[in-house]
Amino acid sequence: MTDIGIALPKGVSPDSSPASSRVRHMLGRIEYEGYLAGVIVVMAIVLTFTVGSAFWGSTNLSGLLLDVAIDTVPAIGMTLVIVTGGIDVSIGSLVGVVAVVIGLSFEAHLPFVLVLLIGIVVGIGGGLVNGAIVAWGRVPPIIVTLGTLSVFEAITYQLLGGVWISTIPAELTQIVVLDRLGPVPYSFIVAVALVAVFSYIMARRPIGLKIYATGDNPEAARTAGLPIRRIQLFVYALLGGLTAIAALMTVGQSPLVMPTTGQDFELTVIAAAVVGGTNILGGEGKVIGGLLGALLVEMVEDAAILYHVNSFYQQIVLGAMIVAGVAIGVARRRARLGAKAER
Amino acid sequence: MAAEGHRGEGGELTARPGADETGTRPPGGGGTAGGVGAPFARLVGVSKSFGSTRALSDVDVTFARGRVHAIAGENGAGKSTLIKILMGVLQPDHGRIEVDGSPTAIASPAAARALGFAAVFQEPLVYPHLGVLENIFVAGPERSRLGDLDRPAMRRRAAALFEQLEVDTALLDRRMGELRLGHQQLVLIAKALIEDAKLIIFDEPTSILSGAETAQLFRVIQRLRSGGSAIVYISHRFEELEAIADSVTVLTDGRVAGAFEARPFDLDAIVRLMSGRETRGYGAAPAAHRAGTTGPPLLEVEGFTLRPYFEDVSWRVSRGEVLCFYGQVGAGRTEMAKALFGDLRPTAGTVRMEGKPLAARSPRQAIRAGVGYLPEDRKAEGIFATQAISENIVATVLGRIVARLARYVRRSEVRNLTDSQREALQIKMAGPSAPISSLSGGGQQKVILGRWMVERLKLLVLDEPTRGIDVMTKAQFHEIIRQLAEEGLAVVVISSDLPEVFEVADRILVMRRGRIVAEFANDGTAPPEEVLRQAVALDQADAGARGASANGNGTIVDVGGVSVLVPSGDPEEKEVTGQ
Amino acid sequence: MSAAPIAPGRAAAGPAPGGSRAVGALSRLLESRVVVQYGLLPVALVGVLIAGEVLAPGVLSPSNLSSMTRFGVEIGILGFAEMVVIIMGGGGIDLSVASTAATTQVALAVLLRGGVELWLGVAISLAIGLALGALNGFFVIGLGVPALVATIGTYFGYAGLALVIANGVNIADFPASYLTIGQGDVAGIPIEFLFIFIPVAIVLAYVTSRTKFGHEIRLTGTNERAALLSGINVRRLRFSGYVIAGLLAAIVGVVESSRFGTAQPVADSTYLLTAVTIAVLGGVDIFGGEGTILGVALATAVVTILEYSFSLAQINSVIELGSVGVMLIVVVLGQVGLKSLRAYAARRSSA
Repeated sequence: MTDIGIALPKGVSPDSSPASSRVRHMLGRIEYEGYLAGVIVVMAIVLTFTVGSAFWGSTNLSGLLLDVAIDTVPAIGMTLVIVTGGIDVSIGSLVGVVAVVIGLSFEAHLPFVLVLLIGIVVGIGGGLVNGAIVAWGRVPPIIVTLGTLSVFEAITYQLLGGVWISTIPAELTQIVVLDRLGPVPYSFIVAVALVAVFSYIMARRPIGLKIYATGDNPEAARTAGLPIRRIQLFVYALLGGLTAIAALMTVGQSPLVMPTTGQDFELTVIAAAVVGGTNILGGEGKVIGGLLGALLVEMVEDAAILYHVNSFYQQIVLGAMIVAGVAIGVARRRARLGAKAER
Repeated sequence: MAAEGHRGEGGELTARPGADETGTRPPGGGGTAGGVGAPFARLVGVSKSFGSTRALSDVDVTFARGRVHAIAGENGAGKSTLIKILMGVLQPDHGRIEVDGSPTAIASPAAARALGFAAVFQEPLVYPHLGVLENIFVAGPERSRLGDLDRPAMRRRAAALFEQLEVDTALLDRRMGELRLGHQQLVLIAKALIEDAKLIIFDEPTSILSGAETAQLFRVIQRLRSGGSAIVYISHRFEELEAIADSVTVLTDGRVAGAFEARPFDLDAIVRLMSGRETRGYGAAPAAHRAGTTGPPLLEVEGFTLRPYFEDVSWRVSRGEVLCFYGQVGAGRTEMAKALFGDLRPTAGTVRMEGKPLAARSPRQAIRAGVGYLPEDRKAEGIFATQAISENIVATVLGRIVARLARYVRRSEVRNLTDSQREALQIKMAGPSAPISSLSGGGQQKVILGRWMVERLKLLVLDEPTRGIDVMTKAQFHEIIRQLAEEGLAVVVISSDLPEVFEVADRILVMRRGRIVAEFANDGTAPPEEVLRQAVALDQADAGARGASANGNGTIVDVGGVSVLVPSGDPEEKEVTGQ
Repeated sequence: MSAAPIAPGRAAAGPAPGGSRAVGALSRLLESRVVVQYGLLPVALVGVLIAGEVLAPGVLSPSNLSSMTRFGVEIGILGFAEMVVIIMGGGGIDLSVASTAATTQVALAVLLRGGVELWLGVAISLAIGLALGALNGFFVIGLGVPALVATIGTYFGYAGLALVIANGVNIADFPASYLTIGQGDVAGIPIEFLFIFIPVAIVLAYVTSRTKFGHEIRLTGTNERAALLSGINVRRLRFSGYVIAGLLAAIVGVVESSRFGTAQPVADSTYLLTAVTIAVLGGVDIFGGEGTILGVALATAVVTILEYSFSLAQINSVIELGSVGVMLIVVVLGQVGLKSLRAYAARRSSA
């Protein structure tokens, strides 16, 4: 049986079904994002009552939101990549490449805006490489991006030449970290705006529909004449561009470019996407889920700090969240299959 | 027959006015050039071969606007090749296709779509996680001035169409994967109409539909016809031909065996043509067959059920007997075999092997109990394509040929087993280490048969063992099957090939819609037409039921003026999901 | 050691029926699994030998070779681990091996510090490796989480576990006897190579090519449905693949900590890429069904010579890893390309 189960959209009354499965039905009717938002709210409430002043303090809060922003921006692209049935583990080292390139550009005193543009172009270039090999080489995405992961690292190292770059203009830090609306950094607002834009694209634009179709049933998409390869190229390139924005934010957050900049970042982003409900098998996933997933991941990390939990446990929790997020998704699909009244 | 009584009305249906009462655009682009009955697409002298097998030879057939043209034929008669050629998946070797009178090449599926050809398959190709509306419009969405998806506009068009097709517009808000197959088919029909299809092919659309769904589909087809679409209807159900076809072409072994241009159809003649009584050799069944049938049953199956595939199936088979299951695609035979083999889980029924209960929960357990199953889909479920021939032969017996202590698989055993099968089955190979994919289809099938012959079996189930295999190898297979039975094996053969059934069977069970409907002893008294008649539901008892409908066996449904018997055996509301 | 151990003359392939002579020859060449799966290996070996001599003249001196064999043990065994899970198909891969190795070595160090006997400590840490592998297997087979994400998750989780066990620091107080595993040698040949790598390779070669298990993993990786219908317990088989991978990772953890004399809780992030590259370069089909220990061992030699030459030539390990990454992509591109070429030739010759 293929996985044909999916949540019933809101406002649709399900067919009559045995009473025994009514509970499952009700669970099935709530969208996954609803649960996730609920968990986040509960966590916020618990944090409020236990370590409220520290949590809501503007330093902690804006730090948290900046972290969320840095994860969310590439999580949008990662969601799209996973929706088409792919994955990209190279974005952590792509952050490194972009960080070095903009660092060097700053050192060369290029105009500020030009540097930002260069960074984004480099990011898109990296994504194009991944996308091209996936689409035309028919090599599994995990293999391609595992390979480019080390290639990007090597490029970073080579460009950096063994030294750190610290001549990052304060302007960048100002924009990324210090400019805020109350406790909310502009970066977070940018991230939310991007989420809104891509939610709109995925829900309203024809390209969004085609991206979903590509991942949902590649065979059908091929026979329908959809440009699958160009779509793949597009989502990886987009992820590269969004990763570059995250790299700009990272450099603004800690104005220092090191060989380790961006390391393991891809894991957090993948965690945000799959915790956000994106189906790792493709065809299903929402951009807003990436934001909620990032919020949850970063809040757990933040809570660990506030509760003075040994930071080593954070990794275990993050790993558990990835496995649990996907396992819940798989279990939900199976349960819905059993509860389905039709077909 | 009641249906016959309505034939006259049915004939008038082609030009029935007022079918489009809603006043909106008629489905099927009724405004296209050419009137009702005008030829739209023509196949002229079309032939297609695969290797040495001729799938189609010199086929002429014309599809006209506003007419439902049925293609009838056994499995393997060339129906699916015909569809693939029309839909641009295959290119004919000879002959040509004319559309609106001019020769046209259909080089790709896209080209077929551009010509306005659409096909609705039994198992629709859909995007399960996308909404119904999105499924309809994915390739060519309506856009607003800003280029956005214009969902309200799409919804209006789809809703208008749904209303004409008598489909609940609430379905538009569902996701495709939630819909049952019947509704998915209707959505695909709507999609075809939105894409302005002028020729719509239905490939065995009703085999897994419930009665109500079938009735609804028929109403839709009637409307499409009224709207001027050319309809190609592929089916093996005779009551359906009666209900909706305007003309029938019979395909037998890739040739046009006969064409019937007007009702009433001579159903008896159609059956005769399909069975190929005149054109094919039905050799007299060897007399030695009957010996095994008298022995005590080896396997007894009682009340075996897995809806919607098969229901309350009971049969038995003895050692040394060849039992054939004859029926049409979707009759539930393969699923029944897989349930017996532990690959599917039946919901009810018992199986006894030598008197002891046998409930295989996995193929592994079934094999241990002495049951083997040769799958229908050789490529997907039979061969290990890139592996050596010897490896393919010993796949199930590895555990038996390991050295006692060191646990290695004994190469000498592998070689012996491979050599013995190579000899016994006359498999032509470069060497036992050549990959199985280097063999012809028949050779591959022999290797898989060999896989089961090295196993110590009591019962062997062969699912369409000779499909797509050349004549020589086929004859060899039949001989082997007989031989296996003579050596004391119980053999169950699932076949849709009537001459084959008569060639190898001791006994014939006919399945239709998941039930066993008839049993014949292959002793020369059972005429092929009669067996086929049972498989396609054209028997006297059924006809009587249709006429009377008083015995509670079914419901007469009015389909655009034609009555159709809908068997009440179809569970409509409690229908079990999925594959 | 080929995929078809029963086959003495395995290069024998059927003559192509019809078709032009060139196409026939091509298809014969491509039909041979040896050419398709292992054709790249000798080329790569010669390539790295030349590159090694250019980069670091004298790289193949006896003392260097001795160091190389030491160097290659860990990545080679991890390559075997990837081979076992990839060969079974169904998207099998284990991204968590480096973290498993980290966890087992710090566990061993903590146990030894606590006064546990050496042999018992090693046994327990190998058991931990088995358990972590079984947990991977549970996630993938039991819960149905695709291997890719499940083992990304456990890569994280086990790394955290290692940090927790070691409390975030390297542990250095190993008994001297333990250090001989990774530092001693017999007649210039490293002990870990002689007494760990070689036996592991031989056992695995035997298990994966000659036993029922070996036949069944190949069949399962080639066609899961056919394997199931042939009575093979596909789920149990795949589960045991992850358990074996966990055990092999634990062995690597032990060897590594002995070589360095310290147990490091931070997983070596280069392990994963190197292990997958070695497996694929060694002829393991990324889509399952093919692969041999001999091929993977040869690929280990290729990668080891390359890495060693790079480090002798004072080229940074990051650059070296980058070249491994390029190698991975090129090799898989080559595999995919050869496959479609083979399919094309088969179509041409049977048309």
